[in-house]
Amino acid sequence: MSTPADVILEVADLRRQFGGVRAVNGASFTVPAGKITGVIGPNGAGKSTVLNIIAGALKPEAGTVSYQGRDITGLPSYKVARQGIIRTFQLSSEFAALTVLENLLVAAPAQRGEKLWQAALGKQYWRSSEQASVERARELLARFEMAAKEDEYAGNLSGGQKRLLELMRGLMAGPTLLLLDEPMAGVSPSLARRIEQHLLDLSGEGLTMLMIEHELAVVERLCDPVVVMAQGRVISQGSMAEVRGDQEVLDAYLIG
Amino acid sequence: MSLAWQFYISTVLVYLGVDVIACWGLNLQFGVAGLVNFAYIVFQAAGAYTAAVLTLGPAKPARLGGFQQYVGGAHWPFPLPILAAGLVGGGLAAVMGSFAIRRLRSDYEAMVMLVVSLIATSVASNQVGLVNGPNGLALVPKPLASLVNLSPVDYQWLFVGLTAAVCLCVYWLVHVVTSAPLGRTLRAVRDNEQAAAALGKNVTGLRMLAFVLGGVIAGISGAILVEFTSAWSPGSWLYPETFVYFTAVIVGGSGNNLGVMVGALLVPVGFLEATRFLPQFGPPGFIDALQWIVVGLLALTFLWFWPRGVIPERRRRFPPVAEARAPRSLIRTRIGR
Amino acid sequence: MAACGVAAVSTLVPAIGFGVVTASILAVAGVGFTLQFGVTNILNLAYGDIMTAAAFVAYLVTAAGASVWLALAAGAAFGAVFSVALNRGLYTPFVRRGIRLFGMIIVTIAVSLIVQNGLLAIFGANFFSLRMARPASVHIAGMVFTSVQLAIIGIAITAMLLIHLLLRYTKLGKAMRATATDPELARNCGIATDRVIDLAWAISGALCGLAGVILVMNVTAFTDTTGSTFLIPIVAVAVLGGIGQPHGAMLGALVIGIASELAAAIISPDYKDVVAFVILVIVLLARPQGILSEIATRKEVAA
Repeated sequence: MSTPADVILEVADLRRQFGGVRAVNGASFTVPAGKITGVIGPNGAGKSTVLNIIAGALKPEAGTVSYQGRDITGLPSYKVARQGIIRTFQLSSEFAALTVLENLLVAAPAQRGEKLWQAALGKQYWRSSEQASVERARELLARFEMAAKEDEYAGNLSGGQKRLLELMRGLMAGPTLLLLDEPMAGVSPSLARRIEQHLLDLSGEGLTMLMIEHELAVVERLCDPVVVMAQGRVISQGSMAEVRGDQEVLDAYLIG
Repeated sequence: MSLAWQFYISTVLVYLGVDVIACWGLNLQFGVAGLVNFAYIVFQAAGAYTAAVLTLGPAKPARLGGFQQYVGGAHWPFPLPILAAGLVGGGLAAVMGSFAIRRLRSDYEAMVMLVVSLIATSVASNQVGLVNGPNGLALVPKPLASLVNLSPVDYQWLFVGLTAAVCLCVYWLVHVVTSAPLGRTLRAVRDNEQAAAALGKNVTGLRMLAFVLGGVIAGISGAILVEFTSAWSPGSWLYPETFVYFTAVIVGGSGNNLGVMVGALLVPVGFLEATRFLPQFGPPGFIDALQWIVVGLLALTFLWFWPRGVIPERRRRFPPVAEARAPRSLIRTRIGR
Repeated sequence: MAACGVAAVSTLVPAIGFGVVTASILAVAGVGFTLQFGVTNILNLAYGDIMTAAAFVAYLVTAAGASVWLALAAGAAFGAVFSVALNRGLYTPFVRRGIRLFGMIIVTIAVSLIVQNGLLAIFGANFFSLRMARPASVHIAGMVFTSVQLAIIGIAITAMLLIHLLLRYTKLGKAMRATATDPELARNCGIATDRVIDLAWAISGALCGLAGVILVMNVTAFTDTTGSTFLIPIVAVAVLGGIGQPHGAMLGALVIGIASELAAAIISPDYKDVVAFVILVIVLLARPQGILSEIATRKEVAA
């Protein structure tokens, strides 16, 4: 188990059901700061549900979510985001009728000109703030090699480009914790490797991430620690090596 | 220019102004924020009734020769009734917004608003004490008419000037909202509200803002119209009127303030006025029926071929920045920032 | 006191009778409407006007001297053909083009305006009635029905029974339910969803046409707006019962049909339409998914 000293997120005894199905049935785990924590498990284990609960998209029926010591259970998603927890979506969720650059600008936190009275004060009031955001956005675009697509409508991007946009937009929001829901699903292998490299770089710079991922090889390369879920509960937590040896995990996955 | 022509053109200009203002409001709700308000005309009507009642003064009882019954009444000077109309439109939007802006599917939401529109017309027609029922309000005094002694034609042109002034004010409002980051955020909420919420945007609050602003603008448009025509009844605001405005916004260019100006020129004004010059043929009401058919076909045609309208929403480009800066880390690492 | 009770019963009981007739018409109409939504995810706001058009077809048939039964068949056939053509020719192409859900509402309203004004242009703003033989009066349990009204009730019960059997027991019915739940999956399971959708629109269109004819059989005169004003109670019925759920629509029709007539008898005849309005608003605000169903959260239209 990782040292509890720098735990940034703690999830305790979460429960949530849909109809008669207990999607999450008493899940508890901790997320340490500065690392990429992986969440793995067979289909139906409740991984996405837990992520949605943390992000405020779903309300749990029981249990708590604490972030940096504060209880954020049940907060609506926009308030969770304002705490610094930014999530990405598994399905493309770009703002299709906005350009790539505008997509990033929307994510800029504390942008002047987003309130009515600020807008009424006119361009002089918010222009410099917007310019600063434009510069930041262009830096991101350059880093992810999408500078040429700045003025392209986000809806016209290819699937892989939308994936990168999703990631860039999340970063633009300046997160302290980034929630990734299968960031490489359905993406070409070469792009998946590029995304992996980006994630490693970001982790090296100190960004904390919580990532749901299916491919165990990727998890092995990127994640430490790893949380294993099955049937709505956490059945193991630790480094990949530790978790691999756990009998319960082996049973859950039915692999030798 | 002959007197008759002057009357006609000034009247058309006022109608154009009213429709442009209404379309700007609807564009804010629908084109920018993605709200499908099929009760839009109700807000215009609320503004019109408010302005009428605040100009007419309290209702005279029948024994004194009064023939209209309605609630309230005052003799407020111009421009107070128009401002009040805006407030009432906005207030009504705030009330309806708290019910209507929910996580329903957008077509369901549209249907709710349509039903509200039908109920509103029904209530206004049946509750005679409210706003004089199906006969509506009439003989609303024209603003400033008692202060300035102008010939009828000159008064018309004065009113055109007033309308233009209000247009400028409303344009300022919609322009600052759509060009600021606020406009971009509204469009993001329109495109994908879940993603917007995940980035910290208060989706309900933003939608409410767009809804209320649209209501204010609709109310103002109603006030101007009633001050000009001096009469207003439920027949003026049946639910197809909302459809005309929607067609105007779609044809002109949803999401673009200049575009919907063109839409207002083409559809409610241009098209409906053009038929005035056609010779009367067929039984009474025949031409009106044909008009509606063409409006419907127009909406379908544009939705099919040119869904983005004559002047589509602009693609925002940002000029390159002059000096280069050293790249900074984009990650916040300090716990408890 | 006893006299009061007798008086109340003597107004209530006939009201219930009228309520059953209204409920019959609402049931036929409501099931059609809700089927269109259930299978293809479209709120067809032109539905009321198609009913009116079918009524006009029936009018033409009876005016030419044919029997009312032929008029009923003609109305139902017209409804079926028109609805299939409408879906095939307009709605589905728009959906395939990727129109958003609220864009679809604008399309259906446009069709509603076109049909209604088309009828107005052709027939003028006059009132019409079906030419039928004078109906006989029938007394049943304190309620008075005309033979026409009994026929309407009979037609409605037959139609509802057939629909129930279709959905529950036939292959088509199962295919329709599968397509309604998950069109992609249905297609992958080998169901010819295109054909199922055509048939769903044909059946619901026939119900629409039938409803239009029995609606005007029950009124003294009708005009171009008769059907569209009936749309609100139809939507109320469909929503109350759970939109997309035919059995819910039958239930909703009973509730709203009888409630409206009771309100008309007890409070005032003006309140007949208000009941449907009020129920619809309450349901939409409090429980939009209706009594029997969960609202479909799917965003796409089956195409």
